[in-house]
Amino acid sequence: MEEFTVPIGPQHPALKEPISLRMTFDGEVVKHVDVRLGYNHRGMEKMAEERSYIQNLYLTERICGICSHSHTTCFAQGVEKLMEIEPPKRGLYIRTLVAEIERVHSHLLWLGVAGHEAGFDTFFMYTWRDREIVMDILESISGNRVHYAINTFGGVRRDISETQKQTILDSLSLLKQRTDYYANIGTTEPTFVARIKGVGKLSKELALSLCAVGPTVRASGIKSDVRKDDPYAVYNELPFEVCTADTGDVLGRVVVRVNELFECYKMIEFMLKNLPAGDIAVKAPRRVKENEVVSRYEAPRGENLHYIKSNGTDKPERLKVRAPTLANYPATVEMLKGCFIADIPLIFAAIDPCICCAERMVELVNDKNGEANIVSFSDLKKLASEQYKKCGNKPEPVSIAKQLEKIRRKS
Amino acid sequence: MKIQILAFLPELLKHLFRKTATVDYPFQKLVAPEGFRGTPVLYPEKCIVCKACVRDCPAEAIEIVPVSETEKKFKMTIHNDRCVHCAQCVDSCPTDAMGMNKEFELAAFDRHNLKIDYVYVKSTPVPRTPIATNTPKTEN
Amino acid sequence: MDILKTLLYLFVYPGLLFLLIYSTFCEWFDRKLYARFQNRMGPLHTGQSGILQPIADIIKLLFKEDIVPEKADKSIFSALPVFGLAIVCTAALYLPVWHYSTKVSFNSFPGDLIVVAFLLSLPTLIFFLAGWHSTNFFATIGAVRVLTMLFGYEVPLLLALLSPAILADSWRLSEIAAFYQANPFLLLANILGFCIAVITLQAKLERVPFDIPHAETEIVGGVFTEYSGKKLAFFRLLSDIEMVVGAGLIATVFMAGFPGGLWWGLLNFVIKTMIVIFLLSAMRAACSRIRIDQMVSFSWRYLAPLAVLQIFIIIILKGFLR
Repeated sequence: MEEFTVPIGPQHPALKEPISLRMTFDGEVVKHVDVRLGYNHRGMEKMAEERSYIQNLYLTERICGICSHSHTTCFAQGVEKLMEIEPPKRGLYIRTLVAEIERVHSHLLWLGVAGHEAGFDTFFMYTWRDREIVMDILESISGNRVHYAINTFGGVRRDISETQKQTILDSLSLLKQRTDYYANIGTTEPTFVARIKGVGKLSKELALSLCAVGPTVRASGIKSDVRKDDPYAVYNELPFEVCTADTGDVLGRVVVRVNELFECYKMIEFMLKNLPAGDIAVKAPRRVKENEVVSRYEAPRGENLHYIKSNGTDKPERLKVRAPTLANYPATVEMLKGCFIADIPLIFAAIDPCICCAERMVELVNDKNGEANIVSFSDLKKLASEQYKKCGNKPEPVSIAKQLEKIRRKS
Repeated sequence: MKIQILAFLPELLKHLFRKTATVDYPFQKLVAPEGFRGTPVLYPEKCIVCKACVRDCPAEAIEIVPVSETEKKFKMTIHNDRCVHCAQCVDSCPTDAMGMNKEFELAAFDRHNLKIDYVYVKSTPVPRTPIATNTPKTEN
Repeated sequence: MDILKTLLYLFVYPGLLFLLIYSTFCEWFDRKLYARFQNRMGPLHTGQSGILQPIADIIKLLFKEDIVPEKADKSIFSALPVFGLAIVCTAALYLPVWHYSTKVSFNSFPGDLIVVAFLLSLPTLIFFLAGWHSTNFFATIGAVRVLTMLFGYEVPLLLALLSPAILADSWRLSEIAAFYQANPFLLLANILGFCIAVITLQAKLERVPFDIPHAETEIVGGVFTEYSGKKLAFFRLLSDIEMVVGAGLIATVFMAGFPGGLWWGLLNFVIKTMIVIFLLSAMRAACSRIRIDQMVSFSWRYLAPLAVLQIFIIIILKGFLR
C-alpha cells in the first residue's frame, strides 16, 4: 500500500474534543504527524478582561471541567499576590486538600480513559465507578461535583467539619484498596500490558528538549513537579515524593499516575490529621493596583501557567492561560511517529489531553499561499449560510478562500 | 514484570450477582448532600436591593429592575438558563436574602421557562445577624 | 408431509424464525452478562428486564435513514448485508438440532462439518467486501484487518474442530454428536481443543479482545463505518446469528450435541449455547483489545501449535482405544 494522509479528527471517537491530527500512514504505521489546532475558540481571555476579579474566578474555573480547581487556584494565587494578601493557614490547607482530591479524581478518570482507548471497557467501568467515591467527597465538601468553586481571594469559601473529615478518611481506605487492585491489574493483565508496554516512547533528552510537562515528562525519568520545584500553598509542609518512571512509554505513564494516587492519599490523610485551626479566609480588596504576576500550579495534567496583569481597576488588564496540554503537543507529535494506527488513541490519551483548555484562537490559513485570514463572526455566518444554500443537502468541497473573496467583493 | 492471564476474571465473577453500582435514574434518585449548590432562590423579605449579587454574578444571571419607585417595589429576575450555580450571590449578599436550594433537574424545552421573577417591596436594611460560618465577604 | 416438514424446518424451527428470535435473545443475554460483569444494569426497560431491547434496536435501525456513499458500488454495497445474513442462516440449518430423519438429507450428510466451517468463514469475506466497497479510509483499513485476522484464527479453529471428528471417525455433525453421547468421557480428551475453539470463535465474531476490524477508538466503525439504517440492522443480525451458529457448532462438536428429540433437544441447545456464550462474554469483559500484529503472532505462536498438539493427543488416544 502506498502512503496516504488521513485526518484523525476533528470528529473521531477516540478524540472527545475537536483537534485534527493529519496522519500519513504507510500501511498500519504512522510516518508523519501534523497537529492542527483551532477548532475550539471560546474567547475566555478576552472575556476575562471585561469582568471583575471575583467574576473571573468563576470564569477561570470553567476553562476546564476536570481540573477546574487547578485553574482557579492558579488564578487566585496570582491575584492574591497582586492584592498583597496572604490566606490563613487553614484556608490554604483546605485549598490544597481539594487540589489533591481533584488529582485523585483526575488520575482515576484517566486510568479509565486509557482502558477505554485500549478497548478494555471493564477496566473503564470499574475505575469510573470508584471515581464516584471521590466525586461524592468533593460534592460534600464544596457543594458540587465538577465546579467546586471552593476558592475565593484570600482563602476558601467553605470550612470542613469534623464529621466530613471522618467520612473522607473512611472513604480513603476503600479508595486505597481499590487503587492497589487497579495498579495490579494495570501492570499484570497480559492483553492490556501488551497494548501499553513500549508504546509511545519518549526519551529523557527528547522530553526535556520538547518541554513536556506533568506525568508525561515524569514517566521519562525527569523529576519535574512544581509542587517540589517551586512550592506553593502548603506543599513545603507536606510529605510526598515526586513519582517517576524510567520507561518513557504509556506503561510508564500509567505507573506514574498510579503512584501519584498513593502519594495523594498520603497527603490527604496528613492534611486532614494536621488541619490547623483558625479562619479560612481573609478579606480581599476589590481593586488591584497596577502590577503583573505569573502564577504556576501543578495540575493533574502538568504545569499550569497564568499570567495576570492588573491596571488599578477591579478588572484585569490581561489574563493569559497556558494549559498543560499545549506544552505536551510537541512531545505527542514525536511519540506518534512510527507507531501503529492502533496506538494513536492510546498515545494521544496518555498525555491526558484537554483540548478546549489549550485552544486560544482561530485563524484561517490558505494552504496554498500561506495567507492568513481573520474572519469575523458575521462573515463566518454569511459564509455558512451561502454555502448551505448553494449545495442544499449535498455538501460539496467549496474553497473557503474563494467564498471569502466573493463576500469581500460584495460588501 | 509479572504477567497474570485473565487477572480480572475473579473480580468479574464476584460482581456477577452483586448489586449494581448504577441507579435506575429517572425512577430512582440519589439525594443531594447537605450544602449542595442547586438553584438560587431569593427571600424577598430580606432584600435591601443593594445589587451586590447583580454586580458579582459571573454569569450575569440576576437582574433587578424597579417596578414602582413610589412604593419601593422592585422586580428581581433570576435567569436560571444562565446561572452557573457558583453561589457567589449567596456569599455577596449582606443580608442573607439569597440562598441555594437542592433543585438540580432544571431541563426545560424553552430557556425562557427557566426565568424566575420575584416582585417585592424593598426592606429596610437591618444589621446582619452574626452566623456561625465565617464565610468571607468581598468589600467594595 | 415431508415437504411440510422441510418447510417447517427451513422457516420455523430451527430455521429463520427461531434463529431470529433466539439470536436476539442471545444478544440480550450477552449484553446483560457483560453489564453485570461491569457492575452495571444493562438493558432494562423494553420488555421484562430489557429482553426485547435487541429487537427494539433492530426495528429502530430499520426505520433509520439509509445512506449509500456516492462513490461506492451501490448494488454490491446493498447486496452484501443480505448475502451475509443468508449465508449464516444457511449455516444454522446444518446444526443437528432437530433431525426428523436419520437418513442422509439436505441438512445432514458426511462432511457437513466442513460445510458449516466454510459457511462461517464466508461472513468474513462479506465484511471484507463491505469495507472495501465503502470507499472510506476507515472502512478500508477495517477490511484489510478483517482479512489479516482471518489468516490468524481460521487455521487453529479448523484444526480444533477436526480433533473430535477424528476421534469420532466421522465428518458428519450428527454422527460426531451421537458418538460423544455414547461415550461422554471421551469429551474430556478434547478440552484443549474446546478452549482453542472458543478463543478463535471470539476472533471470528470480532469481539474484544479481537474486535480489531471495528475498533471504535481507532478506526471509528471499521468496516461498518459507512453502513446505516436497514443495512446496518442486517449486519447486526448477521453478527448475532453468527454467534448462535458458532456457539451451536462448538456445542455440537465439543459438548455432545443436543440429544432428546424436539423439546429436550431444544432445551439442550439453549443451555449448551448459553454456556458457550457465557464464556465468550466473560472473555470479552476480562480482556482489552490487542493489536493486529499481536493477534496474528498469538494465534500462530500459541493457538496453532496447541491445536496440532490436540490432534496428536487424539490420534494417540485413538490408537489406545483400538
